[in-house]
Amino acid sequence: MSTGTPKILIANRGEIAVRIARACLTLGMDFVCVYTAEDAQSGHVRLARDHGAKKGLYRVSSYHDANELLAVADDSGADALHPGYGFFAEDYRFARRMQQRERPMNFIGPSWQVIRDLGDKINTKRLARSLGVPTVPGSDKPIYDEMEAEKFARTIYEFQLQQGIEQPVVLVKASAGGGGMGIEEVHDIDLFRSIFRRIRNYAARQFKDEGVLIEQRIRDFNHLEVQILAEREAANIVHFGTRNCSIQSDGLQKRLEAAPGFAPASINYGFDAQKLLDAITDHSLVMARAVKYDNIGTWEWIVTRDGAPYLMEVNARIQVENGVSAAVTRIRGEAGVDLIAEQIRTALGQPLGYSQDDISFEGSSLEYRIIAEDPKRRFAPWVGRIEKFQWEQKDWVSLHTHVPTDEPYDIPTEFDPNLALAIVRGKDLEEAKRRGLEFLDGLVLEGHGARADELKSNVEFLRARTEGVLLF
Amino acid sequence: MLDISALLEELKRSPYEEISIRAPHCGRIGFSPALKEGMAVYGPQGEFKEKAGTLLAHIERERNLKEVSCPERGEIIAVHRDLHEKFVEAGTELVRLRHFLSRPEAEKRILQKALHLFLAPERARYYFVPSKDIKIKTAGPRSVSVRDGEEVFIMSRMKRETPLQYNGPDGVIYAVYFSHAASVESFTPLIGVCPPDMLAQVEEVVLRVQTEWKERY
Repeated sequence: MSTGTPKILIANRGEIAVRIARACLTLGMDFVCVYTAEDAQSGHVRLARDHGAKKGLYRVSSYHDANELLAVADDSGADALHPGYGFFAEDYRFARRMQQRERPMNFIGPSWQVIRDLGDKINTKRLARSLGVPTVPGSDKPIYDEMEAEKFARTIYEFQLQQGIEQPVVLVKASAGGGGMGIEEVHDIDLFRSIFRRIRNYAARQFKDEGVLIEQRIRDFNHLEVQILAEREAANIVHFGTRNCSIQSDGLQKRLEAAPGFAPASINYGFDAQKLLDAITDHSLVMARAVKYDNIGTWEWIVTRDGAPYLMEVNARIQVENGVSAAVTRIRGEAGVDLIAEQIRTALGQPLGYSQDDISFEGSSLEYRIIAEDPKRRFAPWVGRIEKFQWEQKDWVSLHTHVPTDEPYDIPTEFDPNLALAIVRGKDLEEAKRRGLEFLDGLVLEGHGARADELKSNVEFLRARTEGVLLF
Repeated sequence: MLDISALLEELKRSPYEEISIRAPHCGRIGFSPALKEGMAVYGPQGEFKEKAGTLLAHIERERNLKEVSCPERGEIIAVHRDLHEKFVEAGTELVRLRHFLSRPEAEKRILQKALHLFLAPERARYYFVPSKDIKIKTAGPRSVSVRDGEEVFIMSRMKRETPLQYNGPDGVIYAVYFSHAASVESFTPLIGVCPPDMLAQVEEVVLRVQTEWKERY
């Protein structure tokens, strides 16, 4: 490996590619970007042209072609690869291959062993159960057979009836899915088979794996997360607090996040919310230590109205919403924490340079995911051209986007229609909400589709849901 | 009424299309030594197109050598030899080919004017619903009939799938213009449907092309 300035290949697109590139610039590291034909207009391409390394930009056929990405890494002289989220971020075979190839490279993420153990929902569930960490009742292996799946679903259905739940619901999930994709609810157990087949077909088309998970659908819950960061060799594992990701689309995809995860100082939850936050943080750290966690990761939790936590899964990678946690974190009292930069530093073997005692939390923050979609039509993605995208610059808002603001932008249909992330900070929840609304009021987002239809976005949805942030 | 003679004459006046053969992915290119301008080349051959076309180049990435073969028969009009032994990006043009339209291609072009074309409403990926998909895969598209208002497609954008109804005259699917996993631009044809009252005309197109179109190479 090179001993000079590290050169990072960013094997991703969109706003995360932009944020990784900016983190590299902050750290004084060179970076290389890749893009597909559909993404030629994306902000990360421009950033690579303007600030990337010599040989800093490559057009590739796909973000999914491992051979191609590694060939680009060799040609550009990159010595580390940041996978972002999605694509290869949780592919332990890819991470292992990077380490074991003729010209080894650093994978900026957890080690392949950790990804193998925790990146898989089923393994995670087994491990959690072995450590006494509570998990959602359901299957702990992917099910392919219809009869077996129905038998399992009926067991979960009857279990809920026995628990006094009047309208039991079973969740059918694509085992290889993620980000809320490929999930359906079964309200009538007699309809289970048709839904199972639909999800199995969907999973085969989209993820090339027909495996399906069956779980109890827990209603009336909050979705919380614990942000973990660890040095290589798991020498020093710290947490960056909790966040709440309960405001989601119909398809269970996150839309508005807040940190910290609850606000017990101003909201009465009917249970000891601070104790709950401490408990899920402790559980997450116990698991992280048990698997020798060695980079950034997120423990995802369901918390029921009566304050019972269940571990859902672990995301062994950087997440979209990392910035909302960073916004309320101070290291030795200093603001401006960049978790992506911290992830890169530690993955390259640098020590954290601080301990849990040096980390404190201050204020409140919200993250708005600004997306071209129609919340009135079950959040159907909107496709077209963005003609105007502006917002008011304030010292309490950070906006991350790959959408250019000085020229029109055609939204590619190959990827999620995420346009931007806006992170708003306040001294407390009330101020963060007030500023959030002020930001949304000043946001200009205009465009037209192929049939001259006006741009659809979730801005009104975000505005309407701001007031209810952190409430059950 | 379709003027088949006029359409055929128009096509005969310009029976070529130029095809740009591009790097399928990033990698190091090595052109076939025999390749030169003016050379006649072949596309895939065999009953199932199992034999690759003329070898144009090799592209290597991560020690995986991939052949770049000619997708159609025709004549080479340009070779970008300056790229030999260089690392190229995906989509870089390697070779240009002049391709003389084959009988099925000529037939397809004229049939596009005769059939009822159902267009993609949005830029997206399209799939047939499983019941149609199985029939098409096993017995070919002409074994499948569609009715106005019937759910025939799945439209996939950003991994979100929505059912799509066919709108148009009842008939059999005579031609399929999209492939799975490939993005389709809005307002481009997905299928060509032959209603029963147009069958005679469509058959005439097929017959005329079979007898009047001369294959080259």
